[in-house]
Amino acid sequence: MTSFHGKRFAAVCAMKWRTLFSKNFIAMPLFSIGITLVMNLVYGSISSSRGNEMTDALRVMAVGTGVVMNSTMTGILCTGMALAEEKEKHTLRALMTSSVSGLEFFFGSVAPVAVMTVIVNCILVLAGGLMPTPAGWLLWIGVSALCAAAAVVTGMIFGICAKDQVTASTIMSLPMLVLVMIPVFGEFNETMARISKCLFTGVLQETLNTLAGEAPAVRVSGLLVIAAEIAAAAVIFVLVYRRNGYDKD
Amino acid sequence: MTDEYIRLDHISKSFGQTQVLKDLDAVLHRGEILGFLGPSGAGKTTTIRILTGQLKATSGDAYVLGIHVKNIDETIYEQIGIVTDQSGVYERLSVWDNLKYFAQIHGVSAGRTEEILKRVGLWEHRKKPAGKLSKGQAQRLVLSRAVLHRPKVLFLDEPTSGLDPSTALDIHSLLLEMKEAGMAIFLTTHNMEEATKLCDHVALLNDGKIVEYGTPEELCQRYNREKRYRIRLSDGTKRILGQTQEDITTLADALGRDAVLSLHSCEPTLESVFLTVTGRALT
Repeated sequence: MTSFHGKRFAAVCAMKWRTLFSKNFIAMPLFSIGITLVMNLVYGSISSSRGNEMTDALRVMAVGTGVVMNSTMTGILCTGMALAEEKEKHTLRALMTSSVSGLEFFFGSVAPVAVMTVIVNCILVLAGGLMPTPAGWLLWIGVSALCAAAAVVTGMIFGICAKDQVTASTIMSLPMLVLVMIPVFGEFNETMARISKCLFTGVLQETLNTLAGEAPAVRVSGLLVIAAEIAAAAVIFVLVYRRNGYDKD
Repeated sequence: MTDEYIRLDHISKSFGQTQVLKDLDAVLHRGEILGFLGPSGAGKTTTIRILTGQLKATSGDAYVLGIHVKNIDETIYEQIGIVTDQSGVYERLSVWDNLKYFAQIHGVSAGRTEEILKRVGLWEHRKKPAGKLSKGQAQRLVLSRAVLHRPKVLFLDEPTSGLDPSTALDIHSLLLEMKEAGMAIFLTTHNMEEATKLCDHVALLNDGKIVEYGTPEELCQRYNREKRYRIRLSDGTKRILGQTQEDITTLADALGRDAVLSLHSCEPTLESVFLTVTGRALT
């Protein structure tokens, strides 16, 4: 898994980027954008029916749902499904026996998904009508990138454990549900809010809550949570990879 | 580097208590085709997987291009090509884009991609999604991908299995051309005609063990214990003649009368040799 050449990394990246725009995969980020727009419309119409302007708090709720969905559906599901698809269609073996190293394949696979996740998170903020300050944008992009890293490495773990796309989507369903629903319910429930602080999606939601204000911020403990989740995912990935490689015989 | 591209020295492989390869020895030189001939489950694919670094041997030594298989890493794939039934194609991508991807990985020019597509007869289909190709076309795409970077050694696992005779002939002609160009080809097949036509040496593999090894002609002659000749006479009679005095007289008489329309020696085929050696058919 050791060697790393730019040309091969770039080739894998370009292929994965292309895969992300195929109909099976592009549906994930589009769904996140769609749900944000719909929720924005619903909250807007509820507010106007009561004769009020839509508040930033409601905008943040609409965007928050889209953001956690994007981080899991694009970040985790797309990564895992893309790897499972390569195994199912026997293209992974062709790739790994054509001088692409494990390291090149790993980074070539996760980089495009992480970039897509961050871009969509930024689109969601705009789609939700939030207007962060330049510092807010920087913070948002930084935290989104860290969360995307945690998501894509997690996605690779599921991808490596699944033999095909159906298995991948099945084993990813429950963890994704937890990562999406706990931050969303955390808005309404104290216990959920406490658990949410321990999830990268929860930290992302928290950071989003501060974007509409004048002092966007992220808790240091929140950053530590994300870092710990990246580290844990990386360790699990390495352990699973050492045991089976990308494709168990 | 010598012209010895592959060497197997007492290679054995076990999965749990089951021994699937038993003490295999074989050598493949530059510009040669070595055929591993055996029925399904004989250990042909396992041998390829050991030689290409995808599986570890339980014991013994194997070398590919002078490198011990224990020390093989991904850099070996710059010098070898592999075609197996597990060689998939990117179905959403066009034929051209499939090859372009691997050309980028190997640092191969677009000119070479065009050349190989024309050679395998897929140039007209270059814009077609790979998922829409017929089985024969898809196999030609996989083969062209395997030789795109002009490897020194090509591993082929049942390359014409399930293909129509015309596509199989095209592939045979391509393989012979590449062999002439100096490529060493390690071929597994259970098609004895294919092995006889293509291979310089064949190893008959049965239950993980090489039961015979040599050139196809040598093996056939080795088991040609009862010499027989099949003749067809001008009066429509067909006869099988042996080495008896009576049959020799009959043949000499027919030849003298110019009554022989056809005369063939009945040496065994590789399939019958395999049957003789193992007591089982090559299916």
